[in-house]
Formats: sequence, structure tokens, C-alpha cells
Amino acid sequence: MSRLYDTVEPAVIDEEMLKKAVEEQGPKEEAGKIAKQEGIDFGDVLSLRLDFLNILKIDNLWEFTKLTKLQLDNNIIEKIEGLESLVNLVWLDLSFNNIEVIDNLDSLTKLEDLTLYSNRISTIENMDSLLNLHVLSLGRNQLTDLENLRYLRRFKNLKTLNLSDNPFCKQDEYKQYVIAFLSNLEFLDYRLVDQQSRDAAIEKYQVSRDEMLHNEKQAEIKKEDETKRQQELEKHKNAYVELMNGPDLFEQMYAEDKEGQKLNEMPGLEDQLHSFKEKFMQICTQIFDFGIAEHEKREEEVKSFWECVEEAKQDNKRLGMVHIDEFTETKKRMLLEMSQMSDHKMVEQYARDYNDKIQVLWDKLMGLELQLVDQLEEVIKEFERNMQDMVGTFVENVQALLSQCRDLENNHHEKMMEIAIVTLEKVIKNELDDEISDDLKMLLVDKDTIINAVSSSHDVHLLKIDNKEDDIVTRINQSLKNLIEQIHQDEEITRNRMRVSEINNLIDHLREEMDNLEVMQN
Amino acid sequence: MDSSEMNEGEIHQIDSDDVIKEEDETENEEGEDLTEDAEALKAELAKIVVHPPSYEQSLMEEFDQAEFSPSYKDNLPKENLVLQYAENFRRQMVQLYRDRKPLFLNPVNECGVEKFVCTTIRPTLLEFKELYNWDGAAEFVADYLNIEPLKPEYELPKRLISPSTVLKRQKGNCFEYSTLLCSLLIGAGYDAYVISGYATKETCLADESRDICPLLKKKEEVQEEARKKEMKKYNVKPPRDLRSKFELKQEAKKEAEKQAEKEKQRKEEEERIAELEKPPPDPYFGLRIHAWVLVLSGKREVPENFFIEPFTGLSHPMDSSNYLGIESVWNNVNYWVNMQDCSEGVKGLSFDLGDSTVWEFMFPNNDKPLLKIPDAEDDLNDMDDDERKKYLDDEEHEVEKYLDMPPSWVDALKLSHRDFQMRCPHGKKTKVYKRAKLEKFAHYLMKDGLISRLSVYEDRELTDLMKVHEYYAHRSDKLTQKLTNHRTGQVCENFDPGRPRCLKEHQFKSSTPGPENERVMIFYHEARVDGLVKREETQTEMTEEYSNRDDFLFYKYVEFGKRAKKFGPQETSSANKGRPINKMIQKFHRNRNKPANEDIAEIIFHVAEDKIHISYHTEDVRIAASTREFLKPPNWDEKGAVLTFNPEMHQTFQVDPMLPMNKQVELYEMLMELLKAEEKCRNEVRDSQNEVRNILDDRTKEEAASELDISVYDTERNEKAKKHRRELERQQLEEKMRKQEMDIDYLAPFLAKIGNPEKLSKQQAFSLKEECLADLKQRLIDKANLIQARFEKESQELEKKQAWYQQNQVSMGKEDEEEYLTYCKEAIFRIHILDLRLTRHKEQAPHKYMQLEQKLRNDERLSEFF
Repeated sequence: MSRLYDTVEPAVIDEEMLKKAVEEQGPKEEAGKIAKQEGIDFGDVLSLRLDFLNILKIDNLWEFTKLTKLQLDNNIIEKIEGLESLVNLVWLDLSFNNIEVIDNLDSLTKLEDLTLYSNRISTIENMDSLLNLHVLSLGRNQLTDLENLRYLRRFKNLKTLNLSDNPFCKQDEYKQYVIAFLSNLEFLDYRLVDQQSRDAAIEKYQVSRDEMLHNEKQAEIKKEDETKRQQELEKHKNAYVELMNGPDLFEQMYAEDKEGQKLNEMPGLEDQLHSFKEKFMQICTQIFDFGIAEHEKREEEVKSFWECVEEAKQDNKRLGMVHIDEFTETKKRMLLEMSQMSDHKMVEQYARDYNDKIQVLWDKLMGLELQLVDQLEEVIKEFERNMQDMVGTFVENVQALLSQCRDLENNHHEKMMEIAIVTLEKVIKNELDDEISDDLKMLLVDKDTIINAVSSSHDVHLLKIDNKEDDIVTRINQSLKNLIEQIHQDEEITRNRMRVSEINNLIDHLREEMDNLEVMQN
Repeated sequence: MDSSEMNEGEIHQIDSDDVIKEEDETENEEGEDLTEDAEALKAELAKIVVHPPSYEQSLMEEFDQAEFSPSYKDNLPKENLVLQYAENFRRQMVQLYRDRKPLFLNPVNECGVEKFVCTTIRPTLLEFKELYNWDGAAEFVADYLNIEPLKPEYELPKRLISPSTVLKRQKGNCFEYSTLLCSLLIGAGYDAYVISGYATKETCLADESRDICPLLKKKEEVQEEARKKEMKKYNVKPPRDLRSKFELKQEAKKEAEKQAEKEKQRKEEEERIAELEKPPPDPYFGLRIHAWVLVLSGKREVPENFFIEPFTGLSHPMDSSNYLGIESVWNNVNYWVNMQDCSEGVKGLSFDLGDSTVWEFMFPNNDKPLLKIPDAEDDLNDMDDDERKKYLDDEEHEVEKYLDMPPSWVDALKLSHRDFQMRCPHGKKTKVYKRAKLEKFAHYLMKDGLISRLSVYEDRELTDLMKVHEYYAHRSDKLTQKLTNHRTGQVCENFDPGRPRCLKEHQFKSSTPGPENERVMIFYHEARVDGLVKREETQTEMTEEYSNRDDFLFYKYVEFGKRAKKFGPQETSSANKGRPINKMIQKFHRNRNKPANEDIAEIIFHVAEDKIHISYHTEDVRIAASTREFLKPPNWDEKGAVLTFNPEMHQTFQVDPMLPMNKQVELYEMLMELLKAEEKCRNEVRDSQNEVRNILDDRTKEEAASELDISVYDTERNEKAKKHRRELERQQLEEKMRKQEMDIDYLAPFLAKIGNPEKLSKQQAFSLKEECLADLKQRLIDKANLIQARFEKESQELEKKQAWYQQNQVSMGKEDEEEYLTYCKEAIFRIHILDLRLTRHKEQAPHKYMQLEQKLRNDERLSEFF
């Protein structure tokens, strides 16, 4: 800390201070004069310097959204705050302040250069999102723990680091430690890191460094796998058949079916259960494969649709541009001729011609637009029809397969019933050899109970299958509807309005130009 | 048994007596008395007087016999046998086919010795990689030799000179050409043959004036068919065509008629020209003898049979109309006679040399697959086993008796590197084609590096020059081609990469070579920092095209005004001052990192009107582009002036009316930027102008100097390398000399004294040894004496000096004293060294003596006596 606390009165960032700074640092000379007349938007300022102002608290900076460079050095700031909205910041200077904790920097993801020199920071932390960091200065702080430096390994782009004048610098191994564990560094404490010292440092910390690298690699692989899995699942979700390639549906059927679970413990049921599960799974896999294949087909369809639409739009655009270019050429020629004419009547005649030409251009451009609208409408209709057909087949097939599931379940139910009754009889006759759990015993008291239990289990299973079917069908129909609506909105309405307004804007401009010219000549 | 052997047999059976009988009959008729009729006939016949053509035995070039090896001057017994065999073959052929022209079998060689043609072929693979492929070898032979036409053109030559001599004298007739080429091709592994036959006059005389020069033939442009647009499912329907179908049809019809008319006219014209250009009828058509080369498919991945014309080095297809007939074909192992009808030229001839019904071979050891005759096979099958065995034995036995071809009598073909590079006799050759003349020069022959010049003429008499195409090599200014169009005066020069300003092509008018005139320069833009591809100039305009620039600039156009005329004294600097610029246009590619509305597509600097016009790129979804126009502040070109700005100076059209208006400051700054850009552009234009001027200056200098580059690997021509090599050789020689000196023979002088006898007697040996040892002793003593003498001399001198010092010590200055002291030091050092040397000599001398004695004892000349 370079100055005493109460010698100067602490200041706050206010409108006046900002205005002054902006004006001082804004454009110079003539441009400055113009800017002053017009006023400067804080939102347009790209760099701002607020140094030696005894600022205690960072505040009132939310307007500076485009700011890329901010200097707040040589103040008495104690806490990093109020910078959340400055997302475009690339350079931030907070040196010579009284900051104790690194904090509130998470939104500044574009930051490349951060200076916290001469503060009171004791731990490196809370910078996880600053992955673009190139330059970091943490000199003259209270850093004591060398281990803490491993935190900096996450910054792959970090090339320049300043840690001088920290307590841990007095340790002998400080330099080698830093070089060994941050081997991407090119400059450390104002000096170039040469290959020789890097090799030496790495050799010294070979073992722990290798271990660390290994751990990092493992973590990375794990993360990759995780993302891959997520992506896969996402893809399956888009195909509306997620988790159908596993025992998920089957397990779900039993998840809320406590009685069924109990009943499954009945002796002699194992084989039956096993074959039921296998068959069930087979159908699920069929649904999954079919779903993925259909999804790919739909994707292909959508892709080819967009390609064609894009092509048509490009062709149309090209034609439109040709017309405009032609007109521009004519305009140039006519204006040149007009400027050389002295006869008033002739000029008027020309002006009339010119206006006619503008009208012709408008006709042409509007014609093209109408043509495109027609073409697109037709294509979209066809696309809609095809997509609906495809979704229809998909739904039908899935329903058919799920009804097979239901059949399986029915079969299974019947078998269960038989076995249950047989078991019940055995229990009643006390012929049962195996031990059975108490829960099951509770069910095996009389015929009604056991039949009720089996039936309710069956109902739960059927319900699950129905739910799944509903889920798939609603989702696919909904998304198709959304897609079609989106296409209608974007391609037919928005695009058309935009183009028409563009054409009118252009024509208006051309007319205005002519009028101006006439006025000038008159 | 096959048919060829049967033929052979038949021929052998014919007795030569038949011929003699016929002759006898004619003699008998003469002896009879003449009837009246006969007298009348005689009188009638007497009227017919024929003069034998005053055929001069063309003086054959005489060769110095001494320079040939014996194989040229004499025949081996085997060769004689082959010659007899050939003679027999010839006789039989004459017998069987009386109307056939004689065969070319055994002409004399340069030493007047008869040699069989097959043995004249000497398969050779020379060390030049260009000769490994047939086209390279054929071109080389065509270039390297000069043509000697046959005399007379309808008779076989009497003499066939060996290919080695042909290579030496660099000229030959068609047979010698073919033999040489065939030697090279067989050496390179081709299945090649010499053909003796008949050809058209143009071919025989190598008259190519009716052919289009191969260099001028246009390469067939591979027209890539426009890729048909893939029909996709959702392709939009094109707008309906509202024009009348009928009218369109009528129009198309008319167009087609016109086209047909034109086509017809063109055809007629072509026919007319073809008629005009037809060669005049040749009285000797079909009689002109010619020899060329046949290459059969199979070896060296040759897919199809073809002919090579040795005079031109070009290949001809098997149905070429240039060749009219084939008599015989041979290579280095066999000789075949054509038995096929050649009334329609060589079209449709079979070249299956194994088929003895169409090709009569001379030696039965034919490596060609022979056609099997099924009858013989059947016979063989019918025979009993024993019989068959016997038969087969017979056959084998018979085969062994056959004569095979003796090795070639010709010396190995040799070609020096230098001669190969000279290509043509004296390094120059001129060929005449239809409306074109091609001159070839050896590399480094011409001072300016010219290697070939192709002149194209309007007419066939080669008087009306149209354009000249010159090819250069090894020029230090990297010029490779120069095309001068004499009609338009246009000159186009092509350069290799490596010039200082990366010039690739330069087109200009020869009448106005100076700067600020019409020209086109194309550059190697990959090598240029500014990525300039092309610069086109006219007198008032300059257009530049760029590629791959960081600032996306790809086009620049400048329009110049007229130089303001100055009166008064001419300043020297005014000439260098550029012309005033009226207008500059820069065009840029789209920079995807910027929004289209801020990405400038085109800037036009209206310099004369003080206006700047900007067009922006079109956004992807729009069809119109934003534009902006600035008026320059009135005092923009004053130095240090404060430039003012007011909103009137700016006009804009924004495609998207919803966008907020630019702030005045932004506009002001934009204007400042534009002014800077204009200045920069102006400077660049001036630089371009200077560059053009510099390039032109360089070209003028280079043309005047026209230096040639010599590769460091070219030991023949590179003077420096040559010097270096000589130096190395000299050093090596010295090294060798020194080595020789080292193991000098210590007995030599003593042996010389007694007259170097072959063998030494014991007496001599002893005295020799004694003498040698005595000599060494003497020398050792002499050396010791010498050292002692020097030692004494040094000591005396030192003493003298010391005495002198003692005397003059008082009067001496410090410098003299120092000098004396150093002298003393050195002298004592020298004395000490001499002392040491003497002691060492004394120690070593006996050892040396002993050593020599030992050596002498072991010397092989003396050892037997000791």
C-alpha cells in the first residue's frame, strides 16, 4: 500500500467524473469539437482511464458496454465489483489498489490482460471463466502458497506472468517450481524463460509433474466421454426414442410397481421373467433403431429442403442485383447527360424518363419477389406434406411396435396369473419348498389378494407403455408443428416484408435523389 | 512340322540349272539365219536406240581405313557363312518371285566389305536419359544427323555405313538413320525393326512443308461438360415462359439455316484450299525407296504397333498414307520378307512376324511364336509312341544345326556429352513446315541463349512473316519465350520465376516500348508481397488485379489526365513527375468478419471533382447495397490545416432504414480515413508507375547484356568449377609425387653406378651394401660436422658481440643495450638448440646405421646373398 488511508478523501465514480474522463480521452482537435457538440454516448466508448482518482468503490460503469480497455490503477479500491456488464473487456488494470480477494470477474470472458499488481491478494481464485488470459500480473501481493499456483494451469494461453515481490518468492525453489508447473509460460517476472532453465525445472519436478499431467489427462478424457454421452443422448432425444436402446422402459414399468417386484420373487417365475424381458428389450431396440433411421431420413429431408430454398433465394437475389446494377449504370449515364444539357425542356423530359425507369425497376423487383413468394409457397407446401407423411409413418410404426409390447405384457400377465395361482395353492397346501419373503407372503393369503396384486401390476405396466407412446407422439407432432410454423413465419412472412420494404426504400431513395437534383437545377 | 520349314525345303530343291537353260535358249536364237520379216523387224528395232543413262558412279566418300577396327575390314568365318546363307536366300527368292525387287541384304560397309544388314544393327543403351524413351531417341536421331537422299531415289543404296561412323560424320541416308535409331531402340528394350520399303516423295526427302508444324498444332481442348444441375426434390419451379412457342421455333429454324449456310461455305473454302495445297503428281510415285522403323507392341509397355519416321522423329500410325509398301523387315537377329500385297500401301498389313504365310523369315531360329499347323499336330497324335519319340529327336537334332546370327561387327556406339548437347550438326538445324519455319540451336550456342525460333508465315512461300516465336534457355534474366506478332506489332515475353519483381509475362507493342503506353504485365503473385497478379495499362488508364491480400483488395483502376503543359525552360524533374490522376477505383472482396453494411465493396475517388463515393457489400438477405458519398473539405490538401466538417458534405443511402444514423464524429473520422486512403492509393499508383519504369529499364539493360547462367554442376562450361577441379587435380598430383619421393629407392644411385644390372652377383651385392653403408656413414658424419661448424660459428659470434659490448658498454644508449640483450638471448638459445641437436644426432646416428643395414639385409635384391 502506497498511501495512507485518511490523508485524502475517497472518491466515488459519478457522472461528472466519467464525463470528464471521456471527454479528455476522446477524440482530439476538430473531431473533439464535433464530438463535444454532439455529446458522447458512454455506450460507444472503447477505452477508459480512471487512475489517480482515489476511487474507493467501482460503480456506475454499466453504460460502458463496448468498453475493451479499463484502467483503474492507483486508487484505493478494496473490492472488485460493478464490472459485470463490461463483457467486452479485453484489458483490465487494477494495479496499486487495496484489493484483497479476486472476485466478480466471471462475466469478463474476453479478458486477455489482467493486472492486479501491488494489492493485498493472498490466494489465486475465482478466475475460472477467464480462459483467454494472456497476461497476468500478480506481483507485490500476499501470495504465500506455491501450491496455489497450480490454479493457473487452466489458462492455456497464459504466456506472461508476473509474481515478483510476493512472500513465496523468497523460497529457493520458487522459480523452478513455477516454470515446471506452468510450462507454457514465455515470460516470468519480466524475463524470458529460456529452454535450458525450463528443461532443468521440469527435470527437477519430473515425478510430481508427470503425476499431475496424468491426472489432468484422465480428467480430460472423462470430461470428453461425458460430453460425448450427452451429445448422443441429445441426438436420441431429437429422434424421440431416447433410452429405448436400454432396459429403461422395462425398468420403469417396475419402478412404481412395488407389488410386481414382490410378485417377481415367486418361485418358478425366473425363466418366464427372463424371456419376457428379453423379448421386450428386443422390441424396444427395434423401436430405437427405427427411430434413429427415421430421424436421419427426416434430417436429410430438411437439409435438402433448406438447400433448395437457399438456392432459390440466391438465384432470385442475383437477378435482383443484376437489375439494380443495370439501373445504376443507366442512372450514371443519364445524370451525366443531364448535367451537360442546358435546354430546360430536355432536362424535364429526361427527368420524366428517369422516373419512368424507376417505376420499371420497381416493377421488375416486385415481380421477382412475387415470383419467389409463389415458388417458396409451393415448395413449403410440398415439404409440409412430405414431413407429415413421414411423421405419420413413424408414429404408426412406433404404435405398432408398442402394441406388440402390450401383447407381450398381456401374455406375461396371463403366465403370472397362472404361476401366482399355482404358488398360492402350494402355499395353502404348505408344499412350497423354498423360503419366500414376508412381503410376498402377505400377498399370498387368498385368491382375491393375489389376483388383485397381479392385475394392478399389469395395469401399471400398461400405463407406462401408454405414457411412452403418448410422449413420443405428442413430442414429434409438436416439433413438426413448430418447424412448419417457423418456416411459414421466417420464409414467407418476415422475408417477404423485409424485401418489400427494402425495395420501397431503394425506390424512394432514387426518387428523392432525382427530386433533389431537380430542385438544385431549378 | 510347320509351313515355313516346308517352304524352306521347296526353295532348296530348286536347281539353279533352270536359269542357265533359259540363257542358252536365247543364245541359240541369235545363231539362226534371218528371214525378211526378221530383217524388217531388225530394221524396225534398230530405230529404237536407247542410251543407257549416263549414270555416274557417284563418287563414294572414301574413309581412312586406318581408323577402323579389324572387324570392319574383314569377315569372321561365321559372318562369311551368314553371307553365303543370305546369298542363297536371295537367289531362291529371285527364283521363286521373279518380279520382286531385289532385297537389301548385304551391302558393303565403309571399308568396302560386304556385311549382312542384321549384323550392322548394334543394340546400345547410351547414358543419356533422354534416349531411353522412343520419342526422345527418335527426336535425337532426327536432330543429330543430316539427311543424304538416296541417289537415284528408286534404287537401293550400294553401301550401308555402320551406325558408329554415322554418329561420327553426322549424316546418312534413310537406311543409316533407321539402323542407328533401331540400334538405340533395341538397346533401350523396344521391339524395333528396320523396314525397307517405299514411301511418298515428301517422306523420302523429309519435305514437311505440307505438314503443320507440331509445335503449332493446337492441343485438343478437353471441353468439360457443364455439370448438369442436380435435380433435387425441392427445387423451385422456374417462372413460366410466356413467349410464343411458334415464334421461337421459327427463329430457331432461321438460325439453323444460317448456320448451315455458313458451314457449307466454310467447307467449300476448305476444300478449295486443300485442292490448292495438294502436292504435284510424282513420276516416281510408289518407286521411291525408303527405310523407316517399326516398333511392335509388347515390350516397354508399348500398347500398339507404330512406325517411326527417322528423318522427322515423329511416330506414324500403322495405316499411314506416307508409306506405300514394304519389302522386308529386320532386326539384329533375323530378316523377314513381306509376302503380303502392298497395292493399297501399308494399310491392313499384318505384322505378326511369326506367321510364315505373310512373312518369309531367313533364319529358322525364330523367337516369334510360330503358327502351328493343325494337320501336323494330328499326324503327330496318330503316330505311335516310338515313332513320335524318334520324330521329336529328329526335330531337336535338326534345330541344333541351324545357323544363328553372329554378333555385330560394329564398334560400340559412343557419344560424348558435348556432342549430345550440341544436338544438331554444328548445333544448328532448320526445318520447314507448312507456313512455318523452325530453327533449332544447341544450348549455349547462341550468345543470347536462343534455343529455337519458330517463324510463322501467311503464305507458303515463306515471304510474308506473321509471327515469330523464340524460345530461350539459361538466360540470367529468366526469359523463356518471346512471341513477336509482326502484324500487330505486339510482343509477348514469358519469364521463369526468380526475377526481382516477379514478372511472369509482359505484353507490349514493339513500336511503343516506353512507359505509359499500352502494355500488360502478369506477375507471379504468390511471390509478391502485394499479391499483384496483373497490371494492364493504356495511355490514360491503368488497371491492377490482386489476389490473396489481407485487406481484401482485388482490383484497382486509375484514370490519368493529361500532363499540364508547362511553358518556359524544361525542368529535368518534370519528366519524372507523374501524370495527374483523375479517378481511382478500388474494389474489395467481402470480409466476413465485418457486417456487410460496414464492409466496403468499392471506393471511387473522384479526384478531379473532390468527391469520394463508397459502395458497401450487399447483405446476404438483401439485394441493394448501401452507399455513401463524401465531399472533400475545401482545404483538404493544405498542409497542417484544420479540416472542418459539416453534415452537408455527406450523403448516404442505407438499405436498412431502421439502423441508427452514424454520429458526426464517426463520419468525420471516416472522412479522415478516406483522405488518408486516397493519399495512400495515390502513392501506390506512383509506385506502380515507378515499378513499370524500373522493369522497363531492367529489361533494356538485360537485353543489352544478355548473360547466360551456367549451372554449378555443369563442369564443362562453368569456368570457376573447372578451375577448382583443376586445382584439386594438381594437388592430387603433387601429393602423389611426394609419396613417390617418400619411398625412394636408396639403392638406386648405387645400382645406377654399376649400370642397373638385371641380376646381381654376390660380389656386386656385397660391394653395393658396403658402398651404401659407407655412404650413410659419411653423410652422418657430414651432418655432425655441419652442426658442429654452425655451433662454433654461433659461439664465436656471441663471444665477439660480448667483447664488443664490454668495450662499448659505457657509451651505449638504452636501446642498443636492449638490442644487445635480446641478441644474446637469441644466440644462446640457438647455441643451445644446436647443442641439443648434436647430442641427439650422436645418439641416433648408430641406430640409423643399424636400421639401414637391417633394411639392406631384407632388401629382396640383396637378401639372397645374406
